[in-house]
Amino acid sequence: MIAVELRKLFRRPRTWVTIGMLNALPVLVAVLLAVTDLAPRPGEGPVFLSAVLTNGTLYPLAALAIVLPLFLPIAVSVVAGEAIAGEAQAGTLRYLLARPAGRTRLLVAKLVSVIAFVLVTVVVVAAVGYVVGQLLFDVQPIGGTTLSGTTITPEQIAWRTVLAIGYITVSMLGVAAFALFFSTLTDSPLAAALGALAVLIASSLLFTLDAASSFAPYLPTRYWLAFVDLFREPVLWRDIVRGIGLQAVYVVVLVSAAWANFTTKDITS
Amino acid sequence: MLLGLVLPTEGEVQLLGEPMPTRARRVLPRVGALIEGPAHYGHLSARANLSLLDAAGPGGSRRTRTARIDTVLEQVGLAGVGRRPVKDFSLGMRQRLGLGAALLRRPELLVLDEPTNGLDPQGIHEIRDLLLELNRAGTTVFLSSHLLAEVEQLCTRVGVLDRGRLVLQDQLATLTAPTGATVVETPDADRVRAALDGRVLRTSVGRAVVRGADPAEVNAALVAAGVPVTGLALERPTLEEVVLAAASTSADRVDAPGERSRR
Amino acid sequence: MLLALPPLIGALPASDAGTSAADLRRAALDSTGVAFAGYAQAAGGLALPVGEQLTGVADLLSDRTTMRTWYRGVGDWRVDVVSPTGETGVHADASGTWTWDYVANAATRTADTALALPSAPDLLPSALGRRLLSEAGDAELSRFGADRVAGRDALGLRVVPAEESASVGRVDVWVDAASGLPLRVQVFGAAGGEPAVDTSFLELDLTTPPAEVVDFAVPAAAGIREGQAPQLLLAATRGTRDSTLVLPAALAGLDRRTIEGAPARVGVYGRGVTLLTVGALPGRASDGLRTALAGAPGAVVDDLGVRIAAGPLGLMLADGPDGAVLLTGTVTLDALAAAATELTGEAP
Repeated sequence: MIAVELRKLFRRPRTWVTIGMLNALPVLVAVLLAVTDLAPRPGEGPVFLSAVLTNGTLYPLAALAIVLPLFLPIAVSVVAGEAIAGEAQAGTLRYLLARPAGRTRLLVAKLVSVIAFVLVTVVVVAAVGYVVGQLLFDVQPIGGTTLSGTTITPEQIAWRTVLAIGYITVSMLGVAAFALFFSTLTDSPLAAALGALAVLIASSLLFTLDAASSFAPYLPTRYWLAFVDLFREPVLWRDIVRGIGLQAVYVVVLVSAAWANFTTKDITS
Repeated sequence: MLLGLVLPTEGEVQLLGEPMPTRARRVLPRVGALIEGPAHYGHLSARANLSLLDAAGPGGSRRTRTARIDTVLEQVGLAGVGRRPVKDFSLGMRQRLGLGAALLRRPELLVLDEPTNGLDPQGIHEIRDLLLELNRAGTTVFLSSHLLAEVEQLCTRVGVLDRGRLVLQDQLATLTAPTGATVVETPDADRVRAALDGRVLRTSVGRAVVRGADPAEVNAALVAAGVPVTGLALERPTLEEVVLAAASTSADRVDAPGERSRR
Repeated sequence: MLLALPPLIGALPASDAGTSAADLRRAALDSTGVAFAGYAQAAGGLALPVGEQLTGVADLLSDRTTMRTWYRGVGDWRVDVVSPTGETGVHADASGTWTWDYVANAATRTADTALALPSAPDLLPSALGRRLLSEAGDAELSRFGADRVAGRDALGLRVVPAEESASVGRVDVWVDAASGLPLRVQVFGAAGGEPAVDTSFLELDLTTPPAEVVDFAVPAAAGIREGQAPQLLLAATRGTRDSTLVLPAALAGLDRRTIEGAPARVGVYGRGVTLLTVGALPGRASDGLRTALAGAPGAVVDDLGVRIAAGPLGLMLADGPDGAVLLTGTVTLDALAAAATELTGEAP
């Protein structure tokens, strides 16, 4: 069942178009930076971007930081919102269930395929960022500088980047869970995706509001930028651990809600 | 509800002798279904669609999958377009593919909803032959349709649904069995009444219904009386008459809370 | 206002022998040898009407600052201000500090000075708590309650300044029962309400951090800068060359104090958490400040000059006979006015 869902997802042209478009912005930014040699003013623009001109090794991270606030969540919402609602809208859901692909199995398979999509997307963005960084910018053979001002080797950058990829993937799971849950509520994939995005926009807005500080630590976007903490020395695990825990709670609660809703739902379309 | 898509609020459903939906995982692989029209992944080919659907549940052996797909594509007449993406298919081709998907695991029971929808007359004929052939080979075909002609040509046993309730269920042969009367076609129905006094049940222009299950005897009596007879037949109710008698109003007509009447 | 901060936070003697103190206060003051690693957050509620050159100080006192710290001992520690997209680390050694700024990709060497603008390390609960307790008299001290801070038992210690001119209502310090380390500090204005400064450890580990974490080596690609005090501070500490401003031995009831190494032209008055600094300001520097202050909401403008309060911080630009005099400190506006009158000899 999981294999079936993965085949469906990755044989779908739209999946690759989405991933491709996701990579367009970081590549465009890289080309502009390389051509104009104008780094963003210190403290402005996405993290790591100002450091890229002197060290292209960091471009995978800069690319991830570029897509993280908006592009990546949109892509995840669209794909996860499609999960159940898309099948319902196309009418294939009733055939799958009559096949019978058990409802729980189907939901689990959809969740796994969405996670796979997130992972593949993040890895592709990082990989494209790596290639772009190597081609367009100077690369320092000795490695780079952490946020704390210590020197790290390219190997350390590499494995911390892998951890960052993992963390960003986890960060997206909350969005995916929201979209998946909404996807079991409606027959419109668009409505499910927009619902998840509305949650994110609300979360980002509330995060900036002092009046909402009492529940700011529980907002799904609260710890998104914590992957940056992997590049401090020593690594600051506090927010990363909290971010993973928070996403886990969101995933468990929302997937349970999705399961409770989907397994008791009448499929009439 | 039969296939576990809609969950019953009360009562129980048995399918092939097993309770549904609790035993869905065991029963449904033995059932093929075409529900409210076909649905496929448009970007994938017919073969990929069948393959994915087969892999999505139990009871579809991976080893025989390719062979089974070949067979059903042949059966439903899509062997030549198996690799084309389904989004290029016509309505009729999709209908055939949907039927193919239902046949993929050689089910014991086929649940078909308007299987000939969108097909041209030749296609309808082909599908009808296919279903009759499957039925002869031991497959139960459960068909729901508005097309009474199709039902008459295919079914051995019919049920009539009126507003969600089964109001009639019997063998087609029983329902349309001779009524014990003979239909006489004649240019002069009034003379039939005169000749066979007391036996005429009703008359209309050019037609009289006479009690008596032996057309030859009726004919002889009429000829003897000099009544011209242009046609003689045993009276059988048409399926339409049976349905009209059993179901009160049209399903599309909504006076109060409406339901559908199907057969 | 800016100039009030250095003496308030930066120039207090680290210890004040000769004053009798409660056990808790002594324990807190004696905790300079306690090594630790921690994670702290400081929130400032002071909106400072300052020019662009001092936004760093203004942000520190009005924003939420997240810090990681490793402390091995006096002159051997590191404090990182963590922001979502960067980091500013201060590494202290025996003779001064290295300040690493990731966003600017630069390391700045600063020598220890008697007067310095407040920076993030001064806001750490341990540093701020010890400073604010350092001159508190026993009569000003009281105990209140206990709490868990950073997962540790903390005892409440309250300082209520005795001076009539004090604008600080009270200072609450939660001191670690086991080590004496101040874990949380809240500074309230005379009116109470929300704290003007609230700084607290969220995580604390009392094992000695390794030296390599605290030490700093300038990265190969980084720029190196020499530490420089902001121009306003330079101007004030130099004073006007021909200023005839005479600093009396007492102002507004606060005695003058001497701080070793501090410029003689700047007078520091008061004690404990009630402090007032006075210095002549050259015309160029004062004009811009006067405009900024007069335009700020709540400013009082009269014959004496312009004065304003931001929480417990008071700031006044007085018009003296030889030019502007800047008075800042944790004193009330009335005390500022009284001091200005005494200095310039004008009746209010």
